[in-house]
Amino acid sequence: MFRWKATAATLAIAALALTGCAGAADSGNGDGSASGGTLTLGAIAEPTTFDPAGSEWGNRAPYYQAVYDTLLVATPEGTIEPWLATDWSYNEDNTVLTLTLRDDVTFTDGSALTADVVVTNLQRFKDGTSPDAGYFAGIDSFEAADDSTVVITLSAPDPAMLNYLTRDPGLIGAEASLDSPDLATTPVGSGPYMLDTAATVTGTSYVYTKNPDYWNPDVQHYDDLVINVLSDPTAALNAIKAGEANGVKLANNDNLVEVEASGWTVNANELDFQGLLLFDRAGEMNEALGDVRVRQALNYAFDRASLLTALQNDNGTVTTQVFPATSDAYDPELDEYYTYDPEKAKELLAEAGYADGLAIDSMSISVLGANTYTLVQQQLADVGVTITFEDVAIGNAIADMLAPKYPLVFMALEQNPDWQLIQFMIAPTAVFNPTGYEDPQVQEYIEQIQFGDEETQAAVAKELNRYIVEQAWFAPFYRVQGSVATDAQTTVEMLPTNAYPAIYDFQPKQ
Amino acid sequence: MLMFIVRRLVSGVIMLGVITVVAFTLLYLDSANIARRILGQSATQELVERKTAELGLDRPLAAQYWDWLTSALAGDLGRSWFNGQLVSVSLSGRLSVSLSLVIGATILSAVIAVVLGVLAARRGGWVDAVVQFVAIIGFAIPGFLIALYLVLIFAINLGWFKATGYVPITTSFSGWVSSVTLPIIALSLAAIAAVSQQVRGSVLDAMSRDYVRTLRSRGLSSGSVVYKHVLRNAGGPALAVLALQFVGMLGGAVIVEQVFALPGMGQLTVTATAAGDIPVVMGLVLVFAVIVIIVNLLIDLAQAALNPKVRLS
Repeated sequence: MFRWKATAATLAIAALALTGCAGAADSGNGDGSASGGTLTLGAIAEPTTFDPAGSEWGNRAPYYQAVYDTLLVATPEGTIEPWLATDWSYNEDNTVLTLTLRDDVTFTDGSALTADVVVTNLQRFKDGTSPDAGYFAGIDSFEAADDSTVVITLSAPDPAMLNYLTRDPGLIGAEASLDSPDLATTPVGSGPYMLDTAATVTGTSYVYTKNPDYWNPDVQHYDDLVINVLSDPTAALNAIKAGEANGVKLANNDNLVEVEASGWTVNANELDFQGLLLFDRAGEMNEALGDVRVRQALNYAFDRASLLTALQNDNGTVTTQVFPATSDAYDPELDEYYTYDPEKAKELLAEAGYADGLAIDSMSISVLGANTYTLVQQQLADVGVTITFEDVAIGNAIADMLAPKYPLVFMALEQNPDWQLIQFMIAPTAVFNPTGYEDPQVQEYIEQIQFGDEETQAAVAKELNRYIVEQAWFAPFYRVQGSVATDAQTTVEMLPTNAYPAIYDFQPKQ
Repeated sequence: MLMFIVRRLVSGVIMLGVITVVAFTLLYLDSANIARRILGQSATQELVERKTAELGLDRPLAAQYWDWLTSALAGDLGRSWFNGQLVSVSLSGRLSVSLSLVIGATILSAVIAVVLGVLAARRGGWVDAVVQFVAIIGFAIPGFLIALYLVLIFAINLGWFKATGYVPITTSFSGWVSSVTLPIIALSLAAIAAVSQQVRGSVLDAMSRDYVRTLRSRGLSSGSVVYKHVLRNAGGPALAVLALQFVGMLGGAVIVEQVFALPGMGQLTVTATAAGDIPVVMGLVLVFAVIVIIVNLLIDLAQAALNPKVRLS
């Protein structure tokens, strides 16, 4: 009998200790969600380095934006506004960009923002190994004309340059910190917050405190900022349900109903599109894809609305164009240029000489979901196209895609603003045109956009978009909803051009 | 005894050397796309080549390993290629999380498993049947499922514990308890199942031995026989199983760490290995190897203390 009593007593003590301690911890957590105090965010990726010259944007933007300022800023309305630079202008042929800097900005180490510091940062970014270093490839020189004027000389016009300066290439760090061996983990910027390196657990939780001398206190809506890495969708959902965050970027749209049932708001934008990238437009790997009729047939083969329902619970918009709805190139008609028409697909295949069917090799990556590939396979089989997927480890996926090893791949890609998108997936040098495919008509459009005035740029971008759709360079399925959930005390405005909202745009609910 | 320890330590060092060479070679074989993995989809090919050269990945395997080994011997494990953090800093942070979980889970499972195992062996009948049943359930239900239910009930509905994140014990003790309790329970169940079965078997086995009959015939109470003599003999195999569980949990806590968003070694092992973060993986290999060697040494010593026969062989 003695054993039973001892065991029971131990359990009871343990239970008391645990609940007692947990109660104390709970009250400690309470102040985290109060408005004005701490903003706790969930992100799906950790920053690779705090060195501005190795920085990234997209889902990693908030880590950088908290400590550093960018030269310009992108707004939820889709415009580009002054930030560290108050004013900017191009010369007549758009090859010299002159920026005027604010004169009231100091870094958190006490040093002042000068044109020299900006030039050093820009040059470091160009020479560094940020994934976006290529944005500055076409720049001849950065010069400090005087203390508050920076002159950027381009070898050819780059209509996306101002947009780049709102992102990672525009991040400015304090000069002294740039030579520090600890720069990767200890950033010194002029931003609204300072990284608390003692409280930060790299890869898991990043803790920031308010910069008391910030030049723009209007955007400092909180005293403290915590960004937790919640890469696992279950962990993100648990954090939401337990109220352990104020704003959480969701990796996918699988749990939106549960998120809303927890009293949270889902804020949405549409940044990525998913669909097939038909790389082999010259027919080098698979002769059939060199025929525009085959590429069009592939576009007619997909029931996009059903795919959107099956794979994204209808959270998104079907489309057959790769340009985003917020861009000048966007044409609403092109969202339904290719209807679901398997008969037409078969006809086109027959015309092209593939009446007996056609075999295509491709690759699959587990993160994009097994269902996706099964459905793509089925829909193509219905029109007589046999697609074989080879599973590729996630670490090698992009390298294999861009080798390029396969004539076409299924992929989710970001829809950048016009010129950036052209440089990313249409131009012969574009990363996502790995075969370097060139079309004289496309080249002509690209030149007109690069050297034209704003009006021409917008008009030609539309023509280019239509041409790309008609030529079936891609077989897009839909734009996917990107979701950021916010709790009852917090509001946010989404950016049309980035996966993660600006940290300035998170605010306590009034 | 001293010679025994020295011999074990020397063979441990040799084993470390072999393990690092093998690990480095395996990582190297898969290193072709590391620069691309670091830079992501928007980077140009030229940039990928620049990064490859920066990391020294274009040099021969032997030269890369030699560089790693000489700096590791000097105490410098390098920096992560993916987040720039010093490997030593990253490992020490992660180690405290994982050890919190694994040591906690080991103690918890040892206590409960011994109680359950002895109970089942001594009582037999329905008590044994219930313990056996519970053990099978513990084996059969995956840790992550239990973790999910624990979060749902005790963190989200009752709010007693944290659902995500880790609070270091130095920051707040109650916060630490709140962040590790559920993961420890989730992690313990399989170990409890395994160890309690081992204890039950060993106790039954020991109780059927001649010496137990002899002790009983001399009029010792059954409690004293079990706690003073039987457990001492049954302890050896149980300790061995427990040590196995300890090492297994260290790496196998991945899913539990994922569900609770805890920055532990298991999670780091999976992400760093999948990404090809060679400096981090090599650091992890070192730490795991050292822990395994130490745990085995301790177990041998404990066995020797428990049972003089081991000392003789």
